[in-house]
Amino acid sequence: MAAREKARRGAAPESAASVRAKKKFRVFSVRGGMDLPFLFLVLVLVVIGLIMMFSASYANASYYMDDSYFYIKRQAVFAVIGIFVMIVLSYFDYHHFHKFAVPVLVLSIALLGLVLVTPAINGVHRWLRLGPLGQLQPSEVAKFALILLFAHLISLNFSRMNTFRYGVLPYILILAPVCALLIKEPHISATVIVLLLSAIMLFIGGVKLRWFGLGFGLAGSALVYLVRFSGKVEYANWRIAAWLDPFSKASKEIVDKTYQTRQSLYAIGSGGLLGLGLGQSRQKYLYLPEPQNDFIFAIVCEELGFLGALIIIILFAMLVWRGVSISLHAKDKFGMLLGTGLVVQVGLQVVLNIAVVTNTIPNTGISLPFFSYGGTSLVILLAEMGIVLSISRTSSVEKT
Amino acid sequence: MVKGTTIRMWRRSLIALLALVVGGFGTLVYSLVKLQIIQGPDLQMRAAAQQLRDKSLSAKRGTIYDCNMKELAKSATVWDVILAPAVIEEKDRDTIATGLSQILGMDKNEVLERTKKKKSYYEILKTKVESDVRDKILQFEKDHQITSGIDLIENYKRYYPYGKFAATVLGFTGTDSQGLAGVEAQYDSVLTGTNGRLVTAQNAVGKEMGFQYEQEIPAKDGDSLVLTIDEVVQHYVEKYLTEGLANNDVQNRACAIVMNVKTGAILGMAVKGDFDPNNPFVVADSKQAAAIAKITDSKEKSEATQEALNVQWRNKCVSDTYAPGSVFKMVTASAALEENLVTEGTVFPCPGSLTIMGERINDWKTFGSLTFEDGICNSSNVVFMQVGALLGIDRFFKYFNAFGLTEKTGVDLPGESRSIYHPVDQMTALDLAVESFGQSNQITPIQMITACCAVANGGYLVRPHIVEKVVDSGGNIVKTTDASPKRQVISAKTSQRMCAILQKDAMKGTAKSGYIAGYRVAGKTGTSEKRELLPKKEYIASYCGFAPADDPQVAMLVFYDEPHGPNGYYGSPVAGPTFQATMTQILPYLGVEPKYSETELEKLDDKAPDTVGQTVAAAKNTVANAGLTAKVIGGGDKVISQVPEPNKNIPKGGTVVLITDAASAKQTVTVPDMAKLSLSAANEKAAEAGVNISITGAALTSSSAVSAAQDIAAGTKVPPGTVVTVTFSENNQVF
Repeated sequence: MAAREKARRGAAPESAASVRAKKKFRVFSVRGGMDLPFLFLVLVLVVIGLIMMFSASYANASYYMDDSYFYIKRQAVFAVIGIFVMIVLSYFDYHHFHKFAVPVLVLSIALLGLVLVTPAINGVHRWLRLGPLGQLQPSEVAKFALILLFAHLISLNFSRMNTFRYGVLPYILILAPVCALLIKEPHISATVIVLLLSAIMLFIGGVKLRWFGLGFGLAGSALVYLVRFSGKVEYANWRIAAWLDPFSKASKEIVDKTYQTRQSLYAIGSGGLLGLGLGQSRQKYLYLPEPQNDFIFAIVCEELGFLGALIIIILFAMLVWRGVSISLHAKDKFGMLLGTGLVVQVGLQVVLNIAVVTNTIPNTGISLPFFSYGGTSLVILLAEMGIVLSISRTSSVEKT
Repeated sequence: MVKGTTIRMWRRSLIALLALVVGGFGTLVYSLVKLQIIQGPDLQMRAAAQQLRDKSLSAKRGTIYDCNMKELAKSATVWDVILAPAVIEEKDRDTIATGLSQILGMDKNEVLERTKKKKSYYEILKTKVESDVRDKILQFEKDHQITSGIDLIENYKRYYPYGKFAATVLGFTGTDSQGLAGVEAQYDSVLTGTNGRLVTAQNAVGKEMGFQYEQEIPAKDGDSLVLTIDEVVQHYVEKYLTEGLANNDVQNRACAIVMNVKTGAILGMAVKGDFDPNNPFVVADSKQAAAIAKITDSKEKSEATQEALNVQWRNKCVSDTYAPGSVFKMVTASAALEENLVTEGTVFPCPGSLTIMGERINDWKTFGSLTFEDGICNSSNVVFMQVGALLGIDRFFKYFNAFGLTEKTGVDLPGESRSIYHPVDQMTALDLAVESFGQSNQITPIQMITACCAVANGGYLVRPHIVEKVVDSGGNIVKTTDASPKRQVISAKTSQRMCAILQKDAMKGTAKSGYIAGYRVAGKTGTSEKRELLPKKEYIASYCGFAPADDPQVAMLVFYDEPHGPNGYYGSPVAGPTFQATMTQILPYLGVEPKYSETELEKLDDKAPDTVGQTVAAAKNTVANAGLTAKVIGGGDKVISQVPEPNKNIPKGGTVVLITDAASAKQTVTVPDMAKLSLSAANEKAAEAGVNISITGAALTSSSAVSAAQDIAAGTKVPPGTVVTVTFSENNQVF
């Protein structure tokens, strides 16, 4: 693969800057300032995220861990590490990632395989225990691996993306095992994100629209089949029932299983327009299970109200917008696709997470970027933001 | 081909971005608006319902005091035992069920069932347990290291420390401390106060989350009432009314009211055939309770019980109406005097009966002729039919109305009835004649005594009331009852003349069973025929009077409904003695100074002189100087003791027994039976037996009185010279 890339690079007409870069090859090549608005947005979200994670986790930490600072201490350490990694990566020439595309995918598939043979946590195989580093979700690695590989492949085969052989088949062959492993965990939300993310990248990469029609049609029918007719997917079934009426008292099972959703809605509703005030959440007092994790946004809504929640949503939207702008102005298609993939991934996670928290879609495990507790996940996220910043250094976007 | 972004990538990127931002983020904003703004209040309430524990803080019900601040009704702290099964630890459930069922005397399985309602935070196990039970529960929790799940919440229970005392006035409270009768019901909102709330936030495992979400709205304790009732007066009223009830075999309960004639303050009010406010739902009358216990049909039984309870709770003083009978003549007489239609000396022919509109109405005696004054003192119906005719329908009704007999008195007690009377435009001459001596029209006892007060107090119609003032929990006066009279209905002059006439009646007339030496009693008896359809003719015997006649202070009405006893059914022998006995006690207590007339003084007791320690000769001298006779027992030189003891009452001219040695001190004599004797015969018999006799009652004014009762039973062995008090009464008193 590396040989093919070299050939392509040689053939392509090159700008003066990239010629210079190629001549004086350096691992950390500073080719201009990074995008300050994007950096600013990331840092603001990290800070707000930490504050809210602290507030949301306070009661739980105090009750279950006997230490109110249990979660925030760990998360803060990872945030510092993450920011450091981000800054370092922003100086790292993202073109080197061409070389990592295939190895990272192989690694992530290996991790997805490994996680299936490790003991289940909460009944599912989603997390790998890393001792003092906490837990790692192989699905996080897989998402990055796919973004990277797709950016790599699409930028290489850009002119042939309208063909089935180069534009569709390789991606299906890559996605199939990844999705199979994710479903095996089971981790439907990660599968959905991976599929949506891949679809967006392929769409931007120029795949013919009819394949999307076909793909969505197949995915839709598969979903309907799984949910409606296959008794095996009990797991997803009750989530749908709970979604349709979280206040239903039809059966004890439903009441038990909608508990988290109900508590989330109570929290959001309690916030009203202006919120109860920072630190004043009541639902975090053991009502909302694990308020520091996937449902942290409910506590944000309760404490900061609709206006606070809206500001945070706007910050995320601005981050996505800015990330896409940077990517669109990137020097090459690899950078463009990589950057877009990374920020769209953040956007999708935000949308799906908040949609779950507000019961807009059925309950499924998606964490909120920058907010939810999870050290390795935060480091990976910040590293990805570092790559976007690296792209921004060569991007022609207005950077101040 | 460009190296960077192509146009199509731009376009598709923007489409994807717009889809994500507008579609995705837009949906989120929409969802948040829906949840936070539109459904916000509803969700907030649902959240609050699970987060907040709302404990009611009971307000303490106000105390009811008598006019001297004695507590007649008070609330004491008790405890409600509440389970919060949601926070009971699994291992404790059985322990708690065992322990609590033992302490509270409940079924263990029932308690266990309730400890298993894991969703519940509020299972009322038992309410109003006393402090000792609470202490046991606290000890139990300590012993078994139970930290959560049992709540003890402060509550109050109503106590009536004097038991049955003033039950009708006080009333009683229900299970939620709501007033159900008497002052408790009338002033329920004043006494109740406002319950407070303690709202605390709790976390999902039921522990309180601490100060930050605690909000306390303190309970505002109820205000207290200071009644016009005087515990001492009330005591005597009840004592003698109960005696009278027993002596006269009264079928349908009795009532009495003592009122301050100038203010309308009710000093005492009793209904006998009442109940214990501590246990108001128990049929208090033992005979009736036994009869009910025999009923087997459960529905009939509960109906009979309810009926009996309704009767015992009913305040006859304000809820029953009756024809006041001859007592009412004081109103007719006042009207006639006020209108200058008669004077005390106006002579009326008394042929024994009058025929009006074809109805022949008999008097109780053919007098020939009587003056107006004697007409009252002899309670002649014929005289009053003529007085009524002089007044005429309009003027009669004017006074009937003016004396407040067509309106409720407005007394602050529940259940006051309206009077039943012929309106002025429907009255006939016959109605007028009958109403003039108090038959036909039905009024309440409280109306009658209020009218009597107006006759006595210079003509002012007072506002009868039972609450003097309302004080808050800090002792500050919240409200004082307006004791000003409603209006003047007769002149002070007429009132004075009526007082004199009624005093004469009590001294010499039909009302003399109420006479008390030295206290210038004015009174009128009444015997009313009940008009309801009853198997046989039934009567109400009543006595209404006041004292002292020269400056009236206190009025009293006594009323026995359907007396069947040996004294008959006339007001004078049935109700008079109760009036007399009660007033004898309460007039000195209320500070009314006795003023004795010459004839009264003659018959009053002296005090025995002190001879103990004197030589026999000196002692004899001392006794003789006091106008008494000495009788020496024993062979000693000095008096070692005497009977009666020094400074004890001894009748005028009585015998003081001087004891000179220890052996003689043990001598006794036997008290003779002195029933149904004239005054002189009784004196003779006492002298024979070697005891002294002290006389009370009608014998002081009437030579025809006979002895009716003695305070030491016949046959009792007593030291010689002991004073036996003998009560005399008229045996043929009527109306």
